[in-house]
Amino acid sequence: MDTVSVENEVIMADDGIVKPVAGGRATIDRDNRETVGDVTAKNPRMRCREVSVFYGEKQAIHDVSLDVGSNEVIALIGPSGCGKSTFLRCLNRMNDTIDGCRVIGDISLDGDSIFDTKMDVVQLRAQVGMVFQKPNPFPKSIFENVAYGPRIHGLTRDKTELEAVVHTSLDRAGLLDEVKDRLGEPGTGLSGGQQQRLCIARAIAVNPEVILMDEPCSALDPIATARIEELIDELREQYAIAIVTHSMQQAARVSQRTAYFHLGDLIEIGETNQVFTNPHHQLTEDYITGRFG
Amino acid sequence: MSNGTITGAGNPGRTIDTVRAGLDRRYRAERRFRIYGLSAIVLGLLFVSILFITIIGNGYPAFQQTYVKLDIDFDPESLGIGDQRSNAALSGANYQALVRNALKVRFPDVTGRSDRRALNSLISSGASYQLRDAVLDDPTIIGTRRSVWVPADDDVDQLVKGHMDRAAAEGDRRLKDNQLAWLDQLQADGAIEKRFNTTFFTAGDSREPELAGIRGALMGSVFTLIVTLALSFPIGVATAVYLEEFAPRNRWTDLIEVNINNLAAVPSIVFGLLGLAVFINFFGLPRSAPLVGGLVLTLMTLPTIIIASRAALKSVPPSIRDAALGVGASRVQAVTHHILPLAMPGMLTGAIIGMAQALGESAPLLMIGMVAFIVDVPGGFTDPSTVLPVQIYLWADSPERGFVERTSAAIMVLLGFLIVMNALAVLLRKRFERRW
Ligand SMILES: Nc1ncnc2c1ncn2[C@@H]1O[C@H](COP(=O)(O)OP(=O)(O)O)[C@@H](O)[C@H]1O
Ligand SMILES: [Mg+2]
Repeated sequence: MDTVSVENEVIMADDGIVKPVAGGRATIDRDNRETVGDVTAKNPRMRCREVSVFYGEKQAIHDVSLDVGSNEVIALIGPSGCGKSTFLRCLNRMNDTIDGCRVIGDISLDGDSIFDTKMDVVQLRAQVGMVFQKPNPFPKSIFENVAYGPRIHGLTRDKTELEAVVHTSLDRAGLLDEVKDRLGEPGTGLSGGQQQRLCIARAIAVNPEVILMDEPCSALDPIATARIEELIDELREQYAIAIVTHSMQQAARVSQRTAYFHLGDLIEIGETNQVFTNPHHQLTEDYITGRFG
Repeated sequence: MSNGTITGAGNPGRTIDTVRAGLDRRYRAERRFRIYGLSAIVLGLLFVSILFITIIGNGYPAFQQTYVKLDIDFDPESLGIGDQRSNAALSGANYQALVRNALKVRFPDVTGRSDRRALNSLISSGASYQLRDAVLDDPTIIGTRRSVWVPADDDVDQLVKGHMDRAAAEGDRRLKDNQLAWLDQLQADGAIEKRFNTTFFTAGDSREPELAGIRGALMGSVFTLIVTLALSFPIGVATAVYLEEFAPRNRWTDLIEVNINNLAAVPSIVFGLLGLAVFINFFGLPRSAPLVGGLVLTLMTLPTIIIASRAALKSVPPSIRDAALGVGASRVQAVTHHILPLAMPGMLTGAIIGMAQALGESAPLLMIGMVAFIVDVPGGFTDPSTVLPVQIYLWADSPERGFVERTSAAIMVLLGFLIVMNALAVLLRKRFERRW
């Protein structure tokens, strides 16, 4: 992996909107598929090394190495179909549920391989929570939605404790004030943005270490999106977060590090500022300047 | 191309005109289509109402039965029991004699042997059973004299219901002139009456229409369907869940799937032959038993339930599965907590279609002997019995006029059973149905 040193120039306006650099400063040629940038994080929670994913014969991810650090948000960006979701789903082994999907390489959580026989997939998913693209609350009450995780893992001893967990989770997801009078109503009756926050509350109710989010705002309006982004920023204090997004503005607003994927390859990874303002790879620059995507 | 029919971007004024010209045609097509649909529905309703009108019109007289009032002298001497009052003696007593004596007293001038027999034949042979039951119920009535309504013979019943032509030549009538005269006397006394036919709902089959009831077949159907439901629903749902949620996709599961789909198309009589060979000849289970009938119908219903259950499971959004797995539910937990409850309404629909098929099925049951003439109402899963459709078939095949109306009445009972079953399923489905 080549680490190319380029002077770190920050070109970000006050409104937080990234102004891509024009003129092509990137120095790495389009045909080079080696990862550019530092894949390691300061306090890594999850480490992925040389991960490849196959759907049957077709390879969807090629030798991707990447760390997800504590208290940071890492954004995975790239054109659609480049394997962002596929990679994200490796981190909590959701790819196991897809017939014909094969994952090779090393992925570890806090130093333990997640493919180890000692590591139970149920336990892994309790530690690595996931929020999906389309809000998918269970067709049950709001309370039951959040209580489900703690209940199946036996995290609480009695009803009051469970209620406390549900309340704190909803509170941290910023949903409590809106729903505290109607916890018994169906979660599916909430608005899209509320449903997505309910799903986040459901994920944090089992007290995970890592939260994976796959385009969590793609089905939401701008106001709901802004709320979720605020929430992600708050959650960063406690969790390691990996978020897939197709919005470069969103990546710039919420993440500290950004990884750019292209056709199954991790092309470039680095500080978000650097990737957006001073991409080293020609493909990254093409993408963030809107030449394709 | 030069006559102005060209429309499109280059000719903006014309587009709207062309559309407008086409509108009429479009509206006409829509109207026509609606009329096709409506007439199909009307035609369907018409046939259904014809069916209902004929069945109810034919069947409702069966719910009434003609009774004759007789002054019965419960004389121990005629009964032939003397001083004995044990149950065995009372059961074996000669109740026929009581009926004959009562008639003799009522019509003292009838003396000839053949006239007597003609007179006695006006009363159903079921009268003596009724008297026996009354005596067994309360032995103290022995030695007393009471008015008792006893069932009339089938021919009398038909006459009273107006199904016999009095004007026909005597030789063409089931009742002769002298019998008509006696009946007219009884009628004048107010000793003939049509009453609700409780026998029809409490008795098993009989050779005498006035004694034949639907209960035997009804209970046979109930027991058979209990066996069918208890076996086919769990097995069908378990199969569907395994194939849909757990089985790997490979050549074996493909083969199983093809086979299940083919089984759904196998003619039902083949399952009857299979049941005869396997359950009766090989395993030695009893013939004519609801247990075997239920097993055979289970084989027949399973593919229907499996196919419907798989469709129901497929229709559960995959996002629900992901959500459950995503918070760390195991596969079994995801299935039992979320997917099964959501698929349950669809599975119940499949089950009810299967059960309705099973309820109406007669061919495979003929093969395992459920077509036998069985008088006793079955009390369990291994008692010989028949089922509603077979009973309908048996009665439809009987020559007596009384069985014609009973055939239609039995069809009404079958339809009623079906409606109750469907209503139950709809209720259950309502309870399971959820929004998402
Ligand atoms: N279940 C699947 N079976 C086969 N191929 C898949 C499946 N899911 C995704 N793929 C393929 O893997 C590649 C990456 O898909 P995905 O990870 O969904 O992309 P992204 O999330 O970046 O848009 C695509 O080419 C897609 O066609
Ligand atoms: Mg995706």
